[in-house]
Amino acid sequence: MKLKIENFDWLTFLPALIISFMSIALIYSAKHASVSGVERMLFVKQGIWVVLGLIAFYLTYRLPVRTHEILAYLYYALGLTLLAALFLIGSTNYGSTRWFNLGPFNVQPSEIMKLAVIVALARFLAYPKKITNNFIWVIVAVFFALAPMLLVLKQPDLGTSSTFLIILLSLLFWSGLSIYFLVLLVSPILSLILAFHWLSWGIFFGALLTVILRSRPGRWLGTFVVMLNLSVGIVTPIVWNNLHDYQKDRIFSFLDPNKDKLGSGYQLIQSKVAIGSGGLLGKGYLNSSQARLEFLPMQHTDFIYSVLGEEFGLAGCSFVLALLSIMVYRGVRIALRARNNFAGFLAWGISAVLAFQSSVNIGMTLGLLPVTGIPLPFVSYGGSAMIVNWAMWGIVLNISANWQEY
Amino acid sequence: MQGTREYGTREYRARLALTIMIIALLVLGSRLSYLQVFKAPYYRQISDNNRIRTLPIAASRGTVYDRQGSIIVNNRPSFTVSVIPYEIRSEKQVLATVAEMLELDTLSLRKKVDSPRYSTYEMIPVKRDADLGIISRLAEQGENLPGVIPEAQATRKYPELRSLSHLIGYVGEISEEELEVKKRVGESYGTFMGKMGIEKSYDELLRGRDGADLYEVTARGRVVGKLPDEERVPPLPGLDLQLTLDLSLQVLADSLLKPHPRGCIVALDPNSGEILCLASQPGFDPNSFTSVLTYGEWQELSENPDHPLLNRAIQSAYPPGSTLKLMVAGAALERGLITPQTTFHPCYGGFQLGERFFRCWQPEGHGVQALRGAVLYSCDTYFYQVGLKCGIDLMAEYAEKCGFGRKTGIDLPQEAKGFVPNTEFYDQRYGRKGWTKSLALNLSIGQGEFLVTPLQLTNFFAALCNGGTLYRPHLLEKVLSRSGRIHEYEKTTIGHLPFSKKTISILKDACLAVVNEQGGTGWMAKIPDIMVAGKTGSAQNPHGNTHAWFVAYAPAENPQIVITVLIENAGHGGDVAAPIAREIIKAYLHPRTELVQVSEKNNSIDDETKD
Repeated sequence: MKLKIENFDWLTFLPALIISFMSIALIYSAKHASVSGVERMLFVKQGIWVVLGLIAFYLTYRLPVRTHEILAYLYYALGLTLLAALFLIGSTNYGSTRWFNLGPFNVQPSEIMKLAVIVALARFLAYPKKITNNFIWVIVAVFFALAPMLLVLKQPDLGTSSTFLIILLSLLFWSGLSIYFLVLLVSPILSLILAFHWLSWGIFFGALLTVILRSRPGRWLGTFVVMLNLSVGIVTPIVWNNLHDYQKDRIFSFLDPNKDKLGSGYQLIQSKVAIGSGGLLGKGYLNSSQARLEFLPMQHTDFIYSVLGEEFGLAGCSFVLALLSIMVYRGVRIALRARNNFAGFLAWGISAVLAFQSSVNIGMTLGLLPVTGIPLPFVSYGGSAMIVNWAMWGIVLNISANWQEY
Repeated sequence: MQGTREYGTREYRARLALTIMIIALLVLGSRLSYLQVFKAPYYRQISDNNRIRTLPIAASRGTVYDRQGSIIVNNRPSFTVSVIPYEIRSEKQVLATVAEMLELDTLSLRKKVDSPRYSTYEMIPVKRDADLGIISRLAEQGENLPGVIPEAQATRKYPELRSLSHLIGYVGEISEEELEVKKRVGESYGTFMGKMGIEKSYDELLRGRDGADLYEVTARGRVVGKLPDEERVPPLPGLDLQLTLDLSLQVLADSLLKPHPRGCIVALDPNSGEILCLASQPGFDPNSFTSVLTYGEWQELSENPDHPLLNRAIQSAYPPGSTLKLMVAGAALERGLITPQTTFHPCYGGFQLGERFFRCWQPEGHGVQALRGAVLYSCDTYFYQVGLKCGIDLMAEYAEKCGFGRKTGIDLPQEAKGFVPNTEFYDQRYGRKGWTKSLALNLSIGQGEFLVTPLQLTNFFAALCNGGTLYRPHLLEKVLSRSGRIHEYEKTTIGHLPFSKKTISILKDACLAVVNEQGGTGWMAKIPDIMVAGKTGSAQNPHGNTHAWFVAYAPAENPQIVITVLIENAGHGGDVAAPIAREIIKAYLHPRTELVQVSEKNNSIDDETKD
């Protein structure tokens, strides 16, 4: 394959480049008035991450997609080893063990694992070509995602952990699994959540039972799903009622770590005030009082979108939202067009992660979703995420340029 | 891959996914418009003219009770003055005024306010336990002092028992390092955390979780109004703890230790490992830590040669002296190296090994003794010869199985491990041929490199008298939860003595003789109607007179309490330590026997009325 300039998919590439540059500017704005010198210089570091990201982009753009196919399981094994090694030599910040400390910077293996899981699952699901609702097949795929999910959950990092679930569901969906089957797959999780009240769980279980009885997914599968939901529904309240208050508190603070800081209500209301006060056109660059004055503890990472909202208003917010939407749309088009089945899976999975993380992060800053700590792709501060996101985007562009290859 | 007809083609799937995306976009877009168009004036107003301040609502720390339910530690109301750096920084005058009013050094206050912490909007407490006069003056000046906030707060109130201070510990403001290194959720400047003892080991339970109130304030710091209650985060009070400790016993122990400059007492229930009393002398006043400890006070505590911050019962290791003889005898019996009837060279005040003469503590000697007599008179000559038979490694092996040389796992921080030397250790220390068998002689009478904590020794004797089970010593009895649920500590077994029933009964018989027979070294612990058993010890040390040990348990037939008394540099255990142990055993068992008698009487009355 040769790099031909006319093959380069500028429409897919440029939005990512623009928001990466915006990211540096926003981080400068968020931190330029900080008391700490290290924080004031964060935008330089983010600039370095963008440069490194573009290098990673170039590499994955030039590297034949087949290479990833050959090395898929190696990526996965390496990623999993890194994740497991965290518990031995990882460093703990803010009560969570997510990083390897390598002197001047930290490496976050769960970001690398995102790509590894997409590649491994794409490889697994792309061959053999015929996939039906094969029970065993799906179970193996579930385990691919389950291992990193549990390791990341242990860190604890609920947000990134849920990203692996989305990768699994989106790729299974793409592989031809029916939506109905996907619902059966997530039903135990729904059972777990709804089991906190017997009535809500009863209604859910009744509905599930009706659906299963009417659609007849096969005797074994049906029985398995029903039994699984039934046991989750019965065991959860028993376990819950036997937990001590302090254990329950731990679970609550695990589900919502920011509640403890000064209450998630505080962060959310500050984010809402920042975005809302931006109005139509915003207060102008470097003029955010709300964010700059450090009302928002995480304005350069998870809450970067509210800095944007305050300084550039509805116009800025819509602009970034539009760029992200174009990227996701292009990703889906590329997945559809690719003749190579593996490449299609890759592009689809990457787009799904982009769509999921963007909407959950923005939903969180707008006060629509709980504060789970998912960063905004290409915008939030963070080296590992920036480099991996660009590497993934290089793969997508590569597939776009070589779509006709089998 | 071809999608089958019933599940749709790839195009169909992509279209479905894009539809979901468009719905998500619509939701986000309408939310954005709602916030930035419809609600924009409202948020603009908050942002321009007002700021939101969170005032933390401190969670009240849990109360600590003793086993009878008497309060050991609780809270008392006090006032704390805090400042908000962002608001006070701009006003140089304010800082000086505040410093003057609070009687603080302007420079150090400035430093605290300028400290490069992550949020300049966080409240930094600058004066704890401020007196009411200052508070009322601050309140009068409120308008002119933006960013200065006096508030009521609960402060820990500790008992006036210095020997208990190490066990209870104290709470203090979280330090910058702690905040940096192990930042947990909910910790910020001014968070109080346990720094020692029970306060530290059960910090998470006791602490609870701070809540927050949200206020709208003007740029001058005046509160305009409170945000709706649904934004408020309520505090979760800490949990109450009930300890196994007996406060009345602790008071007695405190008074018995008072005449001695350094020493400690540990008593526990041998059937469960419940600590009944744990006192260490000298102590300190934990109340001085809760307000502001001056540098001088701190220096005095940390540089005092008597180490008042050290909990001698668990953090300090001593040679066990003759109290170790029971372990040595047990090992020898178990291996068949001696029988209860075995005798050795008679004791003429010592034992000759090669060119060295090893002295017995009794210069007149004990003559020919079998095991029981050797323990009863604590004859060193006998045990030198037992030690020679056993050798260093056999003694080390048994010592480790008896729980020496490792932490007992008591629920207190910084427990010491003690030390059990073996031949490997001596090889390293003196070289392969640089030492002789004579070291075994010293070890057999508990002198030299062998080190135990008073708690380890107590736990060994507890196992001896309960039939051989080593329980984990613990202080927590119950956690009393907010919803009224009680979580009880379950006793845990940490090991078993490597001794048979027969060996144990031989050793127990010897312990009984120590206190109750003519010439026994522990005779001073004798109590008329309670059978006490025990063993004395005197630990040689480089700091002067021997440390006095006494370990005892009672009643001998059905032990309810094991107690260790250690008085540093006080001479022989039988003279100094045994009488103290006697008083505590008496106090613990006597009210109990009276209670039993009373309840029996009641029962008999009931029986009569039934008839």
